[in-house]
Amino acid sequence: MDKDIVARVAKAAHIRLTDEELEKYSKDLGDILEYFAILDEAPNHEGNGINPIEVADVLRDDVPEEKFESEKLLADMKTYENYIRGPKLV
Amino acid sequence: MKIGLEIHVQLPTKSKMFCSCPTTDAPAPNTHVCPTCLGMPGSRPVLNREVLVCGIKLAKMLGCKVADTTWFSRKTYFYPDMSKSVQITQYDHPIGVGGVVYLNGKPIRITRIHLEEDPGKTKRTSDMHALVDYNRSGIPLAEIVTEPDLATPAEARAFLAQLIGDIKHTLDLGENSERSIRCDCNISVGKERCEIKNVTGLKNVETALTYEMVRQIKILKAGGKIERATMNFDESRGVTYGARKKEFEADYGYIDEPDLGIFHIKALADSITIKEAPAKMIPRIADQYGIDQKMAKQLVSTSTDLALFFETVAGKYGKDLAVKWVAGPVTSNWKRFEERGGSTDGILEIIGRFAAGSINDSECGIEIKAFMTGESAEAAAESSAGLETLINEFLDANPKIVDDYGKGNVKAANSVIGHVKKNTGGQYSSADVVETAKRLIEARLS
Amino acid sequence: MSDADTLSKLSKLNEKYQMFNDFCRDGELGDAKFLFSAKDNLTSEEYETCAGSRILGGYRPIFDATSIAKLKAAGGKLVGKTNMDEFGFGTFSANSGFGIPRNPFDLSRSCGGSSGGSACAAAVLDDHISLGVSTGGSICCPASFCGTYGIVPSYGRVSRYGLIDYGNSLDKIGILSVDPKQMTKYLPIIAGKDKEDPTSCVQPELKITHKKMKSVAVPREAVEGIAKDVLEAFNKALEDLKSMGIDVEYVDMPELKYAMPAYYILATSEASTNLARYVGMRYGQQEGDLTLGFDDYFTSFRTEYFGDEAKRRILLGTYTRMEGFRDRYYAKALQVRLVVIDAYKKMFQQHDAVLTPTMPFVSPKFDDISRMTPVESYKADFLTVPANLAGTPHLNCPCGYNADGMPIGMQFVSDHWNEDVLLTMAEEWDKQFEVRKAEVSL
Repeated sequence: MDKDIVARVAKAAHIRLTDEELEKYSKDLGDILEYFAILDEAPNHEGNGINPIEVADVLRDDVPEEKFESEKLLADMKTYENYIRGPKLV
Repeated sequence: MKIGLEIHVQLPTKSKMFCSCPTTDAPAPNTHVCPTCLGMPGSRPVLNREVLVCGIKLAKMLGCKVADTTWFSRKTYFYPDMSKSVQITQYDHPIGVGGVVYLNGKPIRITRIHLEEDPGKTKRTSDMHALVDYNRSGIPLAEIVTEPDLATPAEARAFLAQLIGDIKHTLDLGENSERSIRCDCNISVGKERCEIKNVTGLKNVETALTYEMVRQIKILKAGGKIERATMNFDESRGVTYGARKKEFEADYGYIDEPDLGIFHIKALADSITIKEAPAKMIPRIADQYGIDQKMAKQLVSTSTDLALFFETVAGKYGKDLAVKWVAGPVTSNWKRFEERGGSTDGILEIIGRFAAGSINDSECGIEIKAFMTGESAEAAAESSAGLETLINEFLDANPKIVDDYGKGNVKAANSVIGHVKKNTGGQYSSADVVETAKRLIEARLS
Repeated sequence: MSDADTLSKLSKLNEKYQMFNDFCRDGELGDAKFLFSAKDNLTSEEYETCAGSRILGGYRPIFDATSIAKLKAAGGKLVGKTNMDEFGFGTFSANSGFGIPRNPFDLSRSCGGSSGGSACAAAVLDDHISLGVSTGGSICCPASFCGTYGIVPSYGRVSRYGLIDYGNSLDKIGILSVDPKQMTKYLPIIAGKDKEDPTSCVQPELKITHKKMKSVAVPREAVEGIAKDVLEAFNKALEDLKSMGIDVEYVDMPELKYAMPAYYILATSEASTNLARYVGMRYGQQEGDLTLGFDDYFTSFRTEYFGDEAKRRILLGTYTRMEGFRDRYYAKALQVRLVVIDAYKKMFQQHDAVLTPTMPFVSPKFDDISRMTPVESYKADFLTVPANLAGTPHLNCPCGYNADGMPIGMQFVSDHWNEDVLLTMAEEWDKQFEVRKAEVSL
């Protein structure tokens, strides 16, 4: 598989690859996709298949409820004055 | 020049889109949060019915075709405020497509309207570190996308102002409710377009678009080429600047959201009727009843309920009586009537008696006023009689007013106001005075 | 046995078989009616939950998965969280960020995956049931390799609230046990509508009517390329089924060949979005250099803490849903799933179940596993993947042992919501087939 595409995919997925890894995964993905080529021959289908059974119209009423304590939720997070700390926004 | 807008509107639900966290103001950062809106492993989204209801109302308001079946998609992108690094939004099966909105008679096409969740909010420390508050994470939004049918920044602003009014009306938000609007603005002076991201508020939209328009014109005049770009808007300086190169759309990698399933909303959509938007109501009423736009606008802008009452009276007793009474004394007393709260049935009954000939002109005027303001009939009659006497004296002394009015100068009646005010102070409202004057002048002319 | 003895045995067994990531080391079992374990991708408040991934190291959920909560409410005591392939990505439980469970019949062989630790616990602990999760075969495969029964209910039967997602349209929670009666007892307990998981809210009630199987279809495609020892045991089992009065008919299901690519595309597309949330913020591993820009910071965590197979599947899934490739792969796979479901439905018009061997070979040795290419190991799932793609219930029954004493399993697939016929089959089968218990020495 084209290494440029794999590099682009890795960037989108936020995974850094060494040259060796890029080589390895390009080959693996190439092999896998070759094995998947049979899919092109498969018939099409009219329906929609988000789920294997139809899951339709499951809705919740608009009733606010606080089920969890904020303190418990944030207990294992890095926080500053109740804000959750993150990396730099650059 | 072509301008198209992508408008984000917060929907007025009590709980978030996919979890039951409240949408009200939170006491502190990260207090209205739960595993779902924090994207914790093992949590799941469950859709709030009210989000669909609001979406359908707005789709109808925009004249969109509401989907028979709609579902959600995952848009993947990485940013600290996006707790799952995935935004649940709609991609290929949005709730509504293909609408049109008229701005002063000009059609503005609506591409689509879809529903999505808001990310959290990031704050920067002085050294640019992110501090994230996920209270907003999962707040329901509708995104409205227009075709590039807007011709100028001013038109874009006027369109947004009208849209906000329509949304407030359709979703029953109350005239004074805060409804901030966030826009991505696409503008092309030549062939290539630029997108200004995340502009908040009407004034900023016009300023940002104007700045960008001038920037593009300058480049083209100098023989340059516009590069397709994403811009940011600096509110404090009123300028646009090139944004950091973000992910291209291709890398969002949309897939369906299996956790929510699909929604057959045809029956729900059929069961929802929306209140007509003011912008649509004015031309329709003017057209349907053959009254001028100004009168229609006066009715609608006073209150859409008043306009609807006008239609009721016109339907029952004919357009002329609706103009005479609803556009007349009912309009001038509407605000007080609304404050007091009451049913229009009583007014309808009074007009009915006038139509049947059981009461005369001035009796009808007095009764309407008494009913709407809560004054006693005597007080209303007295003040009305006092007012009528005052005006009649003035008209006797100034017959030219009646002549001018008869020649079509309706404003001639306004000159009565000064006279009345001088003699009575603020006892009578201007609207009351003008209405009474018109009635008395018209009586003299007929 | 006293609580202390039970727990000390648990600890010793774990030392030998490495079935648990986190488990009950001390304390009291109280008046627990039964002990159970759960795959480590099901959240529980009292143990770390890492889904086999180092990126979730130290994660302590603040809520119990519905399936775990229901077993606790029924008087169960959760004694351990079982080792697994990272996020379920594997067939041998060898892609684990923590321990790799050992096969109770041969320590140099795999327990199968990805619920390998669950199968191991079910095989070596007395009167034990273990919750497993199947996305593409992750219950039947290890049940087959470890010689236990394993039931995977219909997609949407058991609430996925509290399940750390692999593929949301594929994941199903089920039960592994050497005793089919336990499965019949506990599946209805963990099943049912849960308002926290919309996909569980469309199910009909699970009724156990002990409906007996009358007819099974064996697809010819499924017995091609099967190892000789597996095929022999399978053929012997077919004869036994006939002697039980069950019709066995060979059929053609050419659509099955499309199931593998469709499954891997949907599973990895969904997985790559589910795993996007692991960026070194909020939970799991968070010790990093916050002075980095967010793209670099996120990338450094994901690069360091995701294992090799997780990266491969993230890359594959990101690719198959990317603009320009999405229509050929992701969108097509959604359609092919419906084609496969239709093929099954056609079979169920005339048969109660579709029957195949569960795995094409007995559990391989870890040495051989390390030499397998990704495609070779994906191909090992070709018998378990179709039913998983279709979301249809399926069952592993031990059906023989090869010359080395390694267990062999067969897999029944029934129509959506029809777990009853599978549970009854397992109980009937258990009456006439002697399941060997692994010899457990400490």
